[in-house]
Amino acid sequence: MNGLSLKGIYKDFGSARAVENVHLDFAEGELTALLGPSGCGKTTLLRMIAGLETPTGGSLHLGSRDITALAAHKRRFGMVFQNFALFPHLSVRENVVYSLVISGTSKSDAIATGERLLDLVQLQGYGDRRVGQLSGGQRQRVAIARALAQEPEVFLLDEPMSALDAKLREDMQVELRLLQQRLGITTIVVTHDQREAMTMADKIVVMSRGKVEQVGAPQDIYHRPENAFVADFIGKANFYDGVVENGKLRVMDTLLETNSPASFINGSDVRIACRPEVPSLGRKDIAGSQLNATVTFVRDVGPARDIHLKTDIGPMVVEYARGEEQQDFQVGQDTIVTLPLDGLHVFPEPRQDAV
Amino acid sequence: MSAVSDPEILANSAPTARSRLADLSLSQLVIWGLILFLCLSPFALIIAVSFGEKIEGASWEWGFSLVNYQRVFVGANWPEEVTFLYLQNLYYSLYYAVFAAVIAVLLAFPFTYLMTGLSRRAQSAWLVFILSSLSLSEVFIVMGWDVLLSNRSGLPMVFKETGLTAWLKEVGWFDTLREWGLANPRNVKFKTSVFATVLTMSYLVWPYAVILLYPPLSRMDRSMIEAAQTMGAGPWTVMRTVILPSVRLPLFGATLLLFVFLLGVYVAVSVFAEPAKQTMAVSVYSAVRGATLNAPFGAAQAVILLITASVFLVLGQWMSRRASA
Repeated sequence: MNGLSLKGIYKDFGSARAVENVHLDFAEGELTALLGPSGCGKTTLLRMIAGLETPTGGSLHLGSRDITALAAHKRRFGMVFQNFALFPHLSVRENVVYSLVISGTSKSDAIATGERLLDLVQLQGYGDRRVGQLSGGQRQRVAIARALAQEPEVFLLDEPMSALDAKLREDMQVELRLLQQRLGITTIVVTHDQREAMTMADKIVVMSRGKVEQVGAPQDIYHRPENAFVADFIGKANFYDGVVENGKLRVMDTLLETNSPASFINGSDVRIACRPEVPSLGRKDIAGSQLNATVTFVRDVGPARDIHLKTDIGPMVVEYARGEEQQDFQVGQDTIVTLPLDGLHVFPEPRQDAV
Repeated sequence: MSAVSDPEILANSAPTARSRLADLSLSQLVIWGLILFLCLSPFALIIAVSFGEKIEGASWEWGFSLVNYQRVFVGANWPEEVTFLYLQNLYYSLYYAVFAAVIAVLLAFPFTYLMTGLSRRAQSAWLVFILSSLSLSEVFIVMGWDVLLSNRSGLPMVFKETGLTAWLKEVGWFDTLREWGLANPRNVKFKTSVFATVLTMSYLVWPYAVILLYPPLSRMDRSMIEAAQTMGAGPWTVMRTVILPSVRLPLFGATLLLFVFLLGVYVAVSVFAEPAKQTMAVSVYSAVRGATLNAPFGAAQAVILLITASVFLVLGQWMSRRASA
């Protein structure tokens, strides 16, 4: 078993704690995304895994081996940096085989491996070019090939798509995921883009302010967020403050029916989240809370329309997908919005400092 | 018909150039004239003087004589007698300047690299300290080293009083120092010697080396170093395969610049170099202001020194262009 485990890892920079008591297991061959807003500690955590930062406390284990004190150059986890960090004084091929050359691999073996890796990342024939002659996407492929050359036990990527334009980014996400599955290598990707994490990862670790907020499969995280931060950060959501009242939720003067708040005692202050694709518009045949609503704005984004509403409990955005029973919504039109019983996520009143 | 040879276009382009000249206002012309005058007139004057003739027992007069250049290359009594005294001076100019520039850059490089790894605050403090050391004139610095290296009060006395000289004699290294000209029969001595000259010249330009190397080293992408580490490179391999190749052009440029600067060093050489190993800068001074009062001969030597510096600068430019290509 070559999985990676973090046990109680934390990191202080002066008096500031960047990473707080992280316990995580990365299974062999799995792709995990460390997801969170800027400054949440995800890159610091990745750098500690790579050996580029020393944890203030806690330990790292690769299989049964404690690697906490092992220097980065002895750990040899392949890493792709945010700016790719290619060596401008070397050709593409020399960049790719760098780890092999410095470890004393014979020239013929290094060249053969270099060609195989360039094939793998679809850069055949680019070996003799200078790094400066490559596009952003090609540079990223070189960085990936270079990190894979030493056949690392763990493959780390720090925001690898952030330097690419939107279209290329989506293509590369799929391509990287397919490559990782083909090689079956334990991979950790740092990203602040939830779409990227959802596209690529087997498992997502959502982080905020140095802490792990939730760990789970992408769909679990999306459909069953454990707190308001995760519900807000992953996907879109409408948020309301309410109070639990006899198994129902009071928001302003309206009582909402739900399956969720069983664990809350009467009178608890709660935060309620509702994904925009969950409510139904103009239908009375669905079990749930029905609210009067007025259309305030319609945003047509092609495959779906975002209908902005003024409702009894406050403003709400409902995503109305094409292909459903077609209805036309005009600004100022009155309608009914139904919140299904299982469509509300209820959380304890969040920390005042939550993002 | 190609566009270039189109007579209409050619006819149009001439007035454009002329009108551009006309666009320059009078004040701009005056400024340009002043700049050209200030930059070029000293050189023009030196070149003109170098062809002048010395009047024995008096000053000199304008003329067009190549005798000064002949004296620099083959001596005053050519063809009866050939001497390379002044070419030897040029050789020592190059010799001291090359070693001092290389040593200064070699010592400044690790210092500057470590400095760029410090906090911003510490970097600023170091830079202020180094910049302030530039306010010391060459004369001050040479005086300091003169005291430090003098036989009666400087390092040789420290060597003697601490028993280091006796120890050197005991282990047999004293004889080696004598062979290198760094010891007399009684004690070590640093004045006069190539060692003291090069040491002082290196010290003189070391702050410049740091200031020249600081921008490229502080701009260097540190993630390249980390990338090399994650690929198995230890500290020395990182230095050899990533850092040095990334800053090779600035290193070369700094060495070249300091070398050219050091060609003109006067005080350090006149104090620390042996009489037989003086440089062309000292020789220029003694011709112009010294006992001989032969300005045309001094000017001819200055022109040769200038041409030598230019040749090295052009060569350096060519080599760095080739390297970056």
